[in-house]
Amino acid sequence: MSANPPLVELREIRKAFGGVKAVDGVSVNLYPGEVVALLGHNGAGKSTLMKMLAGAYPIDSGDTLIAGEKVNIRTPSEAQAQGIETIYQTLALADNLDSVANLFLGREKLTPWRTLDDHFMEGQARRVFHRLNKNFTNIRVPVRRLSGGQRQVVAISRALYFNARILIMDEPCAALGPEETAMVGALVKQLKADGVGIFLITHDMPDVFGLSDRLAVMKNGRLVGTYRTADVTEDEVLGMIIAGKRPEGKPQAEHAG
Amino acid sequence: MSSSPNLWRRSGVDLRLLLMSVLLVVMAIVFHVLSGGVFLSPENLYNIAQQTAVVGIVSTVMVLIIVARHIDLSVGSVMGFVGVLIAYLQYSAGWSWPAASLAGLAVALLVSLYQGGLTAVLGVPSFVVTLGGLMSFRGAAFLVADGKTQPVNDEFFQRLGGGYDGGIGTTASWGLAALVAVVIFARMLQKRSARQRHEMPVEPLWLDLLLAALPAAVVFAFAATMNNYQISSKTEAQGIPIPVLIWAVVAVVLSFIVHRTRFGRYVFAMGGNPDAAALVGIPVKRVTLMLFALLAVLVTIAAIVSIARLNAGTNSLGTGMELYVIAAAVIGGTALAGGSGSIFGSVLGALIMQSLDSGMLLLDVPIGKRMVIIGQVLIVAVVFDVLYRKKFGEN
Repeated sequence: MSANPPLVELREIRKAFGGVKAVDGVSVNLYPGEVVALLGHNGAGKSTLMKMLAGAYPIDSGDTLIAGEKVNIRTPSEAQAQGIETIYQTLALADNLDSVANLFLGREKLTPWRTLDDHFMEGQARRVFHRLNKNFTNIRVPVRRLSGGQRQVVAISRALYFNARILIMDEPCAALGPEETAMVGALVKQLKADGVGIFLITHDMPDVFGLSDRLAVMKNGRLVGTYRTADVTEDEVLGMIIAGKRPEGKPQAEHAG
Repeated sequence: MSSSPNLWRRSGVDLRLLLMSVLLVVMAIVFHVLSGGVFLSPENLYNIAQQTAVVGIVSTVMVLIIVARHIDLSVGSVMGFVGVLIAYLQYSAGWSWPAASLAGLAVALLVSLYQGGLTAVLGVPSFVVTLGGLMSFRGAAFLVADGKTQPVNDEFFQRLGGGYDGGIGTTASWGLAALVAVVIFARMLQKRSARQRHEMPVEPLWLDLLLAALPAAVVFAFAATMNNYQISSKTEAQGIPIPVLIWAVVAVVLSFIVHRTRFGRYVFAMGGNPDAAALVGIPVKRVTLMLFALLAVLVTIAAIVSIARLNAGTNSLGTGMELYVIAAAVIGGTALAGGSGSIFGSVLGALIMQSLDSGMLLLDVPIGKRMVIIGQVLIVAVVFDVLYRKKFGEN
């Protein structure tokens, strides 16, 4: 064990939908300032695992430890209270609301009279959006009218503004052009430097090798293995994803460092 | 010309609602001419205004129900049930009207807990739950008093429905109009200063003044018209009818809920993207239950106005009203797919429906033709909605 407890420790997590074991006894952890890539086929269970950490699904069995303390996360709000923010592949935006409303959705700032403090929220939103994209000014139109990159900015801002300490990114670059992908990459590096721990779900090998410190591969709900990204090759990773075969002679890396 | 769409968007004027207002005015003028000057007479406008109030009150909240991707087909039946109950408690059980009304509200809330609970907690489609309710509560309305009509005699209570003593009088009407105008201008100025304080762009003053002057003028015109209607046996003119006042208060309160509260924002978020709403931690079940409870409150208010207007509660009260209520919301621009709609739109929608109905009645159009036409107007409204959304790239 390292001296400091991991930021997140998931122990023997299980989840079944009907008779299907979506996540079957998976243990994985995450340290501050670290990016752990979660890999696997569609249906391997990585999104389900992350949704449990984010409070979207209840856990059937297993323990969640945040900074060494056992917690019981049952709703998205409880996850947010632990500093866990999630950027979903679908972005989870209400298309009919504007960017400001989406940024604060579920966590609106209220005036002393319990009404929405729109001016405060708009001012704050302008600042956050500006940090990510200087050209993003049409923040008062419904987000369905925005480009893919702008929508992504809104989704990412949600994590940024509320000072995530643990960030889950589910395919953050799936719908993005090269320029916006580079923006996300730069952001990941910046958050890393700030000590944020990031779970990165992705299919994109350049993302894995460019951004992650460790990688965990899942297949059919089970963990194939966890390795330091620098220790393995792309072929070995693909072998784990496709065949569930552990590369020979490579050490498992359940801890950072 | 190139800057005008931008100005439209920035000024917050909804193009669709503007078109609806124009349509309403054109319709009124056409009916006025065809009816030989009767349609726009103070008496006719007074009647239209107070007849529309009951449908209008329920439409405001139906907008929110539809925005949240639900529907309530049982509003007419529940209103009948609650209305007869309130009348029964006053007439047959001898309760005072406030006690009877509160009991009616309690029953309406229980109904909403039942229907809303099945919808929110168990996930039964509200269409099915309230389709059953449409039948059941009509039956319950019959059961309350064995199908017997229950008169209401309390004079104050009767005023709530408009009618003979149901106007607030000329002085109060002028005073109210002035107050509303002051509030409209004060809010406009307050909004400007708040935006300046937060260093956000402000529209030119003439534009804001114009946008405030228009509704203020409409309010004054309405007060003037109502102050011009005098029942021949009375010494003073009617003034603004109380049901319309109740409707206006309801519409303002609901607009406030939509724009200024967390609850209103959650309703729209749930309608726009139910999955996202759940993922960001919105308590979807609780918000849905609260929404149905709000509907119950307004259905009770509508029931009170309705029996006060008829001076009686009958088991057929509100029959078929659900269609008018939903139609008013849809004509007012509420998308049945959820996620978009406005309270003010429902006010216009209800006025358009009622004006069309009374206009044709004035012209002696037979009931069969009236029903055919109103049904087709609803279709036209939905077709317009679909085309409008295509053109402006929504969905």
